Amino acid sequence: MSAHKSDAVIIGGGIIGTACGYYLSQKGLKVAIVEQGYLCSGSTGRCIGGIRQQFTSSGSIKLMMESVRHFQNMEQELGTDVHWHNGGYLFLAHSPEKKQAFLSNIAVQQAAGLKDVRWVDADECREIAPGMDAAGLLGGSYCPSDGQAYPFAVVQGYAGKIKQSGGSIHTFSKVSQILQQGGKVTGVKTDSGREFSAGVVINAAGPWSKDVGQMAGIEIPVEAERHEALITEGVEYLNIPMLVDYRADGGYFQQYKHNGQFIGCYSPVPNVPGHSVDSTFEFLHQMPKRMLKLVPGLKDLKVIRQWAGSYENTPDGNPILDRTGLEGFYTVAGMCGHGFMLGPAMGRVAADLIFSGGRDMPYPEFALKRDFSQAEAMK
Amino acid sequence: MANNTDKIVCRCEDITESEVLAAIEQGATTADEVKRLTRAGMGHCQGRTCRRLVNQMLARALGQKPETQRPITQRAPLQPLTLKALAEYKES
Ligand SMILES: Cc1cc2nc3c(=O)[nH]c(=O)nc-3n(C[C@H](O)[C@H](O)[C@H](O)COP(=O)(O)OP(=O)(O)OC[C@H]3O[C@@H](n4cnc5c(N)ncnc54)[C@H](O)[C@@H]3O)c2cc1C
Ligand code: FES
Repeated sequence: MSAHKSDAVIIGGGIIGTACGYYLSQKGLKVAIVEQGYLCSGSTGRCIGGIRQQFTSSGSIKLMMESVRHFQNMEQELGTDVHWHNGGYLFLAHSPEKKQAFLSNIAVQQAAGLKDVRWVDADECREIAPGMDAAGLLGGSYCPSDGQAYPFAVVQGYAGKIKQSGGSIHTFSKVSQILQQGGKVTGVKTDSGREFSAGVVINAAGPWSKDVGQMAGIEIPVEAERHEALITEGVEYLNIPMLVDYRADGGYFQQYKHNGQFIGCYSPVPNVPGHSVDSTFEFLHQMPKRMLKLVPGLKDLKVIRQWAGSYENTPDGNPILDRTGLEGFYTVAGMCGHGFMLGPAMGRVAADLIFSGGRDMPYPEFALKRDFSQAEAMK
Repeated sequence: MANNTDKIVCRCEDITESEVLAAIEQGATTADEVKRLTRAGMGHCQGRTCRRLVNQMLARALGQKPETQRPITQRAPLQPLTLKALAEYKES
């Protein structure tokens, strides 16, 4: 079997792999995506589609502002309706400490250029999220230009463009070896023995990026962690933004404008490390409880499905976007549960870095070898 | 795209035969992929009505027997349940 030849091989067909592939193919590179399952079979197909710019590192805020600009134009750019809707995000503060933290975050966000984020008091929260029970609420951090989109459509849109530009997508092809010669990457080999040769290889394997790094002897500090989610039947759009309740018994959920379904999740305590995507009854009981505590009027809404997926965490909550010790081998991974929203901007920045030969690191805070002790607070 | 003579395959999500065929043409080889490309199987009944039809279409297109096609992943709850019922459920 002769090797498949391209300019760049991307390991992983999630949002990060396809976004990188799209921007590289826009620059004229021939791209091959090699995916062990099918497109969106990893985390991307399991996420809840939320898109926010409210972060605390100025790199993430700026990247997310760029991502939002891409999402806004995506229907035109990709020729696919990606269900973009700027329904906003409302982070709720039930304690003076949270309020203080949000107030200082808002200052950082505004300084980074996010002008429409603001503090809203409890009465205004009630107006922004009709039907919300504001008991004990001091107010919230609200950004109306945050939003939502449909992950499957975004990935398909990117994949379609990659194919249109002469690239190819290889599903059910698991990479098991990174090929190299004289300190330079030369391609990958799959477990069926097929070779894909290219001078650039991108590790966009999300929760599996550590394993893929190890194939080249490179340590990528990304750990998988299980998160569960559920979705309800669709009802009339109620104009409630994404509600984020960081209390121990809180959660986050939003309603899709496109079809009226509510979708949500919460971060389990203690966390559940590993690649398991088993779902639990505990979640199916807890999540509705948490949703009804915030919006009691949803009580008759029916849950139609639950599932689980993986976050891909780094020690400090920021992504890794960097070259590695092996020339031509890049890592774009460890999105820490924000990869869908970061995807478009990450793909663009990664493509620029790779196209320029990987010399100028665009975001030092995302370097592979960094001090991981400064945590992103709005993780 | 849907037209008037197109048969409905997934009633819950209003997905037609030609939309499923388009997904297969795009490269889908499993029902889970068809589901992600078209939403057939993501509806209220969780594919109880459409999954057989999707598998038959896949098998025909790929020259396989329908029973060799893996059905879409089924997930809890098996029937839609209200948020209230789930929130109030107590294990006895
Ligand atoms: C419940 C839940 C809710 C979430 N909600 C949001 C949200 O609202 N907003 C948001 O922005 N993010 C959210 N996320 C996070 C988001 O889903 C991820 O950050 C994002 O999908 C990561 O994308 P990725 O492309 O890096 O990884 P993935 O989508 O996992 O893609 C990596 C791909 O690599 C493939 N792969 C792995 N190893 C190999 C190999 N050896 N060979 C070939 N292929 C391989 C995998 O099969 C996989 O398809 C959520 C996640 C979960 C689980
Ligand atoms: S008929 Fe397809 S999900 Fe119900």
